[in-house]
Amino acid sequence: MCGIAGILLRETGPVGDSLVKMCQAMRHRGADSTGFALYGEHDATRLIVRARHPDATRAFADTEAILAAVRELGGDQHAEASFDTAAGAADRFIRLEIRYDGDIRRLAIAIETAAQGIEIQSIGHSLEIVKDAGDAASVDARHGISAFRGSHGLGHVRLATESITAVSYGHPFWAEPFPDVSIVHNGQLTNYYTLRRLLEQDGFRFQTGNDSELIAVYLADKMSRGQTFYEALKDSVYELDGCFAYLLSMPEVIGSAKDMFAIKSIVVATVGSTVAMATEEQAIRAVYPDELDDTQHPDPRSVFVWERSGRVLQEIV
Amino acid sequence: MSEVITAPVLLDADDGHRLNRRMRDLVDAGTRAITVTNPRSRHNLGVGQHGPVTITFAGSVGYYSGGLNNGAEIIIERSAGWGTGEAMSAGRIEVRGTCALGTGASMRGGTIVVRGNCGPRTAANMKGGALIVEGNVGYLAGFMTHAGDLIVCGDSGEALGDSLWAGNIWVAGTIAGLGADAKVVETTDEESARIHGLLRAEGIDGTFDFKHVVAEQKLWYFDARDPEAWLRI
Repeated sequence: MCGIAGILLRETGPVGDSLVKMCQAMRHRGADSTGFALYGEHDATRLIVRARHPDATRAFADTEAILAAVRELGGDQHAEASFDTAAGAADRFIRLEIRYDGDIRRLAIAIETAAQGIEIQSIGHSLEIVKDAGDAASVDARHGISAFRGSHGLGHVRLATESITAVSYGHPFWAEPFPDVSIVHNGQLTNYYTLRRLLEQDGFRFQTGNDSELIAVYLADKMSRGQTFYEALKDSVYELDGCFAYLLSMPEVIGSAKDMFAIKSIVVATVGSTVAMATEEQAIRAVYPDELDDTQHPDPRSVFVWERSGRVLQEIV
Repeated sequence: MSEVITAPVLLDADDGHRLNRRMRDLVDAGTRAITVTNPRSRHNLGVGQHGPVTITFAGSVGYYSGGLNNGAEIIIERSAGWGTGEAMSAGRIEVRGTCALGTGASMRGGTIVVRGNCGPRTAANMKGGALIVEGNVGYLAGFMTHAGDLIVCGDSGEALGDSLWAGNIWVAGTIAGLGADAKVVETTDEESARIHGLLRAEGIDGTFDFKHVVAEQKLWYFDARDPEAWLRI
C-alpha cells in the first residue's frame, strides 16, 4: 500500500501543515511510519543535518562528538543543535546546523563514526527530512511538522511490505551523498539488487535495505553525471523494473514518474499557483476542501516536472 | 411495510460515520430521496445500497462509490475515483463528471452512465448490465468482459477488449488498438437500434456509427502446444 504526497508553493507557506493533513487523510494506506521532506530557506553557507539517535541517553554527548568531528574536517557549528523533546522516548532526534563545504560522504561517515548507531535522515542546504513511527498526527505531535514553513515538500505514509518496519526504513529517503535530494515512493522494485550492486561498485553507500532509497541514489547519480532532473526521471521509467509511482524533490522542483503499468495512482491538482500531488484525491481535499477544477491523473510511463517558477514539463516516454 | 417518505433527506458526509448504513436504514424506513453534501472525494460512499431510492452526492467522490449496488439510483454530481459501481448487480449510477480506473468492474447488472471520460480498465470483467460512456475510455476497456454492453460514444484507448470472453463493446469514435482475441464485426440494424434505445433512455440523442467489438473466441480453446497460439496473446 503506502501513500505519497507532495506540495509546491510559489511563495513560502505552511508546507508542513499541508503535508501533515494530506498524510493523515491517507492514514488508512499505512501508519507503520510517516515521514516528511521539508524544504525551507536555501542557504548555501550552512548544512542542516537531521538524524535519529536510537539511544537517547547518548544523544547529547554524541552530538558534541559529532561537532568535534566536523571541526576536524575543517567545518564548524553554525547554530545551536536542537533536539526533540519527547519525554521518556528511547530515541532522540537531532537537528544540527553546520558550516562545511567538503565531501558529503566523508561528512556522513564522520558523523556515523562519532555517534555509533546514529541514523542520518538528511543533509542539505534547505532539505530537512523527519520520519518516525506512527501516523502523521503522532509524528507531528512529537516533531512539530505543522509549524514548518517553506517552499515545498514531500510526505509519505508507510505500510511496510518489502522490507522491515523500522524508522530508518521509512520514507522520505535522502540520496546520500547528494545534498537536498529526497524521494517518496509507492510500489516495489524488482531489479533492486542488480542496480544496488552496480551503484555500490561506484562507491555509493546504502543506509537501509529499502528499495526506495535506491531510486533516490540512482537518480542523483545520473544528475551528478550531467543529466538534467527531467532526463533522469525519463530514464528511470525503463531502467527501473517493478511497479512504482514516486515523487523526487530538489530545491525549487518536484518531479514524478510512473512505471509502464501504472497501477499506483497519483492525482495532481493545481490550485491557483500551488501544485499538490497525492496518491488519493481526498488527501488533497484535506488541504483544499472545495471541489477541484484542475486535476490530472498521470498516464503509464509518464514523467512530470513541476518547477516553482510555474514551468511544467510532462511527457509519456 | 413502512410509509413512503417523499421529503428528501439531507446528510453531510463530514459527519458521515456509518453513512452507508444510515442510508440503508432510511430507505428501509421509507425515504426515497437522499442528498449527501461534502463528499470531498472520500472512498466507499454509497456502497451496498438498495432501492428504491435516489441518492445524490453533491460533489466528487473517491474509490468504489456505488459499489455492490443492489437497486439504488446513485447520482454523482462531479467526478469519481477508482472502481465506481464495482460489482453492482442492479440499479443505476450516473456520474456527471469523469471516472478514474476500473469503472463498473465486475458489474453484473444495472446501468452506469458516465457523462465525461473514463480511465483505464473500464468494465473489466463485466458480467452484465450496461455501461455507457459519453466521452472516451482509457486502455484495456472491456478487459476480460463476460457479458453485457459497454457503450462508448467517444474514443477508446489501446488494448480494447483484451481477453474478451463474451459480451459486447460498442465504440462510436476511434479505437487506438484492439487487445488479444478481440475483433470488430459488422453492426446490424437491429443491434444498432437496441443500443441507440439504451442511449435515448439516458438522454443521449444523436446517431452514432458504432463499431461492434466481440470475442474472436480463439482463446476459448487455448492449445499450449500450438506455437501460433502464443503469438495471439
